[in-house]
Amino acid sequence: MSFAVTNLSAGYGDTRILWDVSLEVGDGEIVALIGSNGAGKSTLLGAISGLVDLWSGSVRFGERELAGLPPDQIVSAGVVQVPQGRRLFGSLTVRENLLMGAYLRTDSEVEADLEHVLGLLPRLRERYGYLAGRLSGGEQQMVAIARGLMARPKILLIDEMSLGLAPLLVDQLLEIMQQIHATGVAICMVEQDVQTALEFAQRAYVLETGRITLSGPAHALLDDPSVKKAYLGV
Amino acid sequence: MQLFLQNLVNGILSGGILALVALGFSLVYGIMNIINLAHGAYIMLGAYLAWQLFTSFHVDPMLSVPLAFVVLFAFGYVVQRTVINRVVRAPVLATFLLTFALSLVFVTIALFIWTGDTRGVQTSYAGANFTLAGVTVPWAKLLTLVVALVITGLLYLWLHRSKTGRAIRATSMDVGAAQMVGVRVAHVYGITYGLGAGLAGAAGALLTLSYPLTPTMGDPFLIKGFVVCVLGGLGSVEGALVGGLVYGIISSFATQFDVTILGQHLSGTGLQDVVALIVLLLVLIVRPRGLVGRATA
Repeated sequence: MSFAVTNLSAGYGDTRILWDVSLEVGDGEIVALIGSNGAGKSTLLGAISGLVDLWSGSVRFGERELAGLPPDQIVSAGVVQVPQGRRLFGSLTVRENLLMGAYLRTDSEVEADLEHVLGLLPRLRERYGYLAGRLSGGEQQMVAIARGLMARPKILLIDEMSLGLAPLLVDQLLEIMQQIHATGVAICMVEQDVQTALEFAQRAYVLETGRITLSGPAHALLDDPSVKKAYLGV
Repeated sequence: MQLFLQNLVNGILSGGILALVALGFSLVYGIMNIINLAHGAYIMLGAYLAWQLFTSFHVDPMLSVPLAFVVLFAFGYVVQRTVINRVVRAPVLATFLLTFALSLVFVTIALFIWTGDTRGVQTSYAGANFTLAGVTVPWAKLLTLVVALVITGLLYLWLHRSKTGRAIRATSMDVGAAQMVGVRVAHVYGITYGLGAGLAGAAGALLTLSYPLTPTMGDPFLIKGFVVCVLGGLGSVEGALVGGLVYGIISSFATQFDVTILGQHLSGTGLQDVVALIVLLLVLIVRPRGLVGRATA
């Protein structure tokens, strides 16, 4: 199922943040959304997830229009966000955080999925009964990803996964993302770490002051002079 | 020694109901950051419900406790969904004013229905008591304590074991993150406020065993509930329980004091709340998070 944002505009109060943003994530694709601080990346994810009011535009997932739906219906449709800054429930245990990820599910496979997620992120098994707020930054990011997976996403929106993490840890997490992708989940990753994002993704979009200014295959953007100059410092 | 034990038992007996009063108040504050000034009115409504059932159909107030819980839960849920949710994200003063207004409305309605006359419930076991090791224990108060403790325990288990309880705790930690996993916050807030009102209603029904009823009977309990919450630690079940028992015990021992201040003679019951409030001030100075409260991150 392909995911398409078309001419989306949004903002807070009278301040417009996003201007006619359009982007697509194909079935099983990995797409990177890059841009500097304040470009509107997190606002875009918020708008997609139904947390920020849309001013205009559409968000389609397959045949379904998601624009204007409340957040819970967007999660049910399979569009799940792993938010910037992890946003874990700090005084709940790791297990409880993961169960919160499955909050909307009524099927009987939640326990089996817990096992699956713990298999993917074995460190969490050691931390299973710990309060999420007591974990290290890398472990917290693992919980955030695992919580997202517990919703059984069809497309995972990951906001600033690498922020504040050591390079080695980022590599580990990317490997895990690769495994998640291999199970058929489409991924849209929002990153300030442009190099990492472009090396990992198949396609990418550049968001600048609320507008998409550039898009194309990730490796092409990696070689693009304007991207190199603005984001890679070369 | 005998007097000490008697005071201790009296304190624990009255502390249980205070804990129950504080519990709903604390829950609403802890989850939604609402200082619910209508809490006393829900206590009053629960009490009148029990009184009405007792007077019209001879239903024992103990049996009215679960009914008062259910009725006020539903009422509180509707109030939250229709009224309070509109301002729940506004500064605390907005909900403060709103719940105060709601309280005035409910008290006035009660005045119309039941008039301002003092009412009472006279059960067959009202004056009955037993003596153990020289300590007198009224049955009604012991029953009240047991029911209050059972309700407190059930709420704790429900918050920590059930899916909805988990969602309530998660929402209190991060509303946005709760929405991102699909929690319908308006519904969760409705349940939380409903629980607050339901617990107040249950407390009100229990109170009819040992207190007279008037439409403004909730006011002192609202204030005591507030004090108990702050004393024990706002926003937690444990805090309400510990705070309630400590408040009950302190004010029970305070009845033994006898002082003359500025020519005014104060003794017994007149001193209860004074001493309890002084202890509250001391606790706030030494341990502002409350006796068993956690420091906020």
